[in-house]
Amino acid sequence: MSDSKESCLVCRCEELTEDEIRQAIREGCTTLTAIKRRTRAGMGLCQGRTCQRLILAILAQETGQDVAELVPDTSRFPVRPIRAELVGDLRDGEDS
Amino acid sequence: MRVPDHPILGSAPAAEKVVIEVDGRKIEAIRGEPIAAALMANGILVNRYTAKRREPRGVFCGIGRCTDCMMIVNGIPNTRTCITAVEEGMVIQTQRGKGDVR
Amino acid sequence: MNRSVDVAIVGAGPAGICAAIETARRGARVLVIDENHTPGGQLFKQIHKFFGSARHRAGVRGIEIGRELVDSAVKAGAEFLTDSAALGVFPGPRLAVNVGNEEAIAVSAKRILLATGATENAVSFPGWTLPGVMGAGAAQTMLNVNRVLPGNRILMIGSGNVGLVVSYQLLQGGAAVLAVIEAAPRVGGYAVHANKIARAGVEILTSHVVTEARGVDRVTSAQVAKVDDRWTPIKGTEREFEVDAICIATGLNAMTELARMAGCRIVHLRELGGYTPWHDRRMCTSLPEIYVAGDAAGVEEASSAMEKGRIAGISILEDLGFIAPCDAQTERDDLWKSLEALRQGPFGNTVRRGYDRLFGDESRCSSCTSAHRGEDFMVGSAPRKAPGYPSDTRLAKGPVAVIECTQEIPCNPCESACARHAITVGDPITSLPRLDEDKCNGCGRCIAYCSGLAIITIDAAYSDTEALMGFPYEFLPCPNKGDEVSLVDRLGKPIARGRVMRVTKPMDGTRVVYAVAPKELIHDIRGIKWQAGGESQ
Repeated sequence: MSDSKESCLVCRCEELTEDEIRQAIREGCTTLTAIKRRTRAGMGLCQGRTCQRLILAILAQETGQDVAELVPDTSRFPVRPIRAELVGDLRDGEDS
Repeated sequence: MRVPDHPILGSAPAAEKVVIEVDGRKIEAIRGEPIAAALMANGILVNRYTAKRREPRGVFCGIGRCTDCMMIVNGIPNTRTCITAVEEGMVIQTQRGKGDVR
Repeated sequence: MNRSVDVAIVGAGPAGICAAIETARRGARVLVIDENHTPGGQLFKQIHKFFGSARHRAGVRGIEIGRELVDSAVKAGAEFLTDSAALGVFPGPRLAVNVGNEEAIAVSAKRILLATGATENAVSFPGWTLPGVMGAGAAQTMLNVNRVLPGNRILMIGSGNVGLVVSYQLLQGGAAVLAVIEAAPRVGGYAVHANKIARAGVEILTSHVVTEARGVDRVTSAQVAKVDDRWTPIKGTEREFEVDAICIATGLNAMTELARMAGCRIVHLRELGGYTPWHDRRMCTSLPEIYVAGDAAGVEEASSAMEKGRIAGISILEDLGFIAPCDAQTERDDLWKSLEALRQGPFGNTVRRGYDRLFGDESRCSSCTSAHRGEDFMVGSAPRKAPGYPSDTRLAKGPVAVIECTQEIPCNPCESACARHAITVGDPITSLPRLDEDKCNGCGRCIAYCSGLAIITIDAAYSDTEALMGFPYEFLPCPNKGDEVSLVDRLGKPIARGRVMRVTKPMDGTRVVYAVAPKELIHDIRGIKWQAGGESQ
């Protein structure tokens, strides 16, 4: 496996390379959300836990911004996996 | 490779062994240890092959967050083996691609 | 079964547990929720002795600190819910929790403390997805918790404290650590940690990166190259390493998922690891019911996490009326003093700058008076200027301690180790230890007390041509009296051989091995090598 740095994977879950991410940015995806929607980067099973930081660094580089100026991804329930059948247990208004 | 004698942790405590099946092969594990540890102790580092590029993956984060260690365990795919404990008679298979939703 | 408590703490690491102790012992109903099976956070896989001061359990191994803290919290009346992952924060405030994959419950609380810790950063390079390439944390868990070595020939990427300490632990587990690869021009972590592994022969390659990991079904080799000041690999400097594992230790960043979900304001502070929940000096976020502590409030280490947890606990108690505001402020002031003491010295610089920016104290002078940690320290350098390095006259008189600790780090167990008070650190605890060569009788007690394993003893009066030197030893196998060992310099290079005259029983895991050495090399010999114990190759 003799890839160059640019063609090595950035999003491990969706198997997306650095080239593909940069391509998406150059085609106009200048936010994390836009990159996600175009490429699925960050939509895999780890939900961006591994790749988000790497993608933000690439995005900062491509757009000439500082990482500090970029916005992280939205965090939504559930932040940890849960079996679908258990979600129904969480009902509004129930107290012990 | 297991470490039976460790300069700080001491000798490994007497442990209950269990037998699990990995891709048809029976291997010995220690009750309660994570599946990924049992496999690693037996020289098995590949847990799955990816969907698109069919590339091998193994333990990466070790704490249940990256999902690279997923295998099919007792028929259930996408089981994170670094945080799932072995049980006697468990059937484990290398996962190829995405799991099937049952 | 849904729950209702005063304080819900997410994360049973040092910060969460210390907050639990503070709040529970004053009568609050406290529930600590952790997704792991064993509480203690990262402590349960830290087998090395901790730094800091006595109140931070300096000199005690991480696993033991974890057990002690959990015991204290339980005694104080805190309840633990383990194998339980917090799924989200909702108005109330309430936490949704997945309890053991069996049940999902809602926990209502008056205050929520997010002590969720930090997560490892990744670096990408060709081949990084190969089995065998993993985070340093994964390797540490496999080895220290499960007693399984992730490989036998290992490359470590990153020379911060995590990379250095895990490298040492991999050596203790019996692996060979071929090199530590550091992209920056300087070692990132403490000199004492770097020296420990350098003595064992591990090469620390600064200004180097891994350019490629190769293998078919697992990693079998890695290519490493030197980089220029633009971090670009320099052609012609490539080196190949045959490895079966590569560990990545390139920093941590706060786990902010729950804070973000709750709507807490997030700021980006490079000095604290990246995205961090904004918070004030009471550890309260932008939402009045949500507090943060530990690494989730900015990446530091365990001692600071304990203090941050306590500050959060005090502030929550104040909110709920369990203690008066003036008492809370007094306790907080005391804890802040302790935090600032931990942040003295060159290593605290970066973190201090981060917090100054967070709290808007940018006008405060964040410069330190001592030399930058990197300029002063070269791996394997011979710091004879360590304060109190014994004079030739004193060395000739008989056994004396040599403390090679020349970097300001918050650590002082050596001070209480000596029955004759021959070692002083004083205030602040980042001060360098100073040896009083006249008070010291070379008994060697301090050797096993030093968390950095930076102390040896030299008896230059042993004979006309030989000295008897005592070294800390934490590997297996251990040599016995009568065995001949290799005597190595600070970079692990064998420069002499010597017979072992005495081996002490382990004091909390650390033995002292006394070996006879040629007198002319006493300023250079700094360790022993015995069979495969602690060897890098």
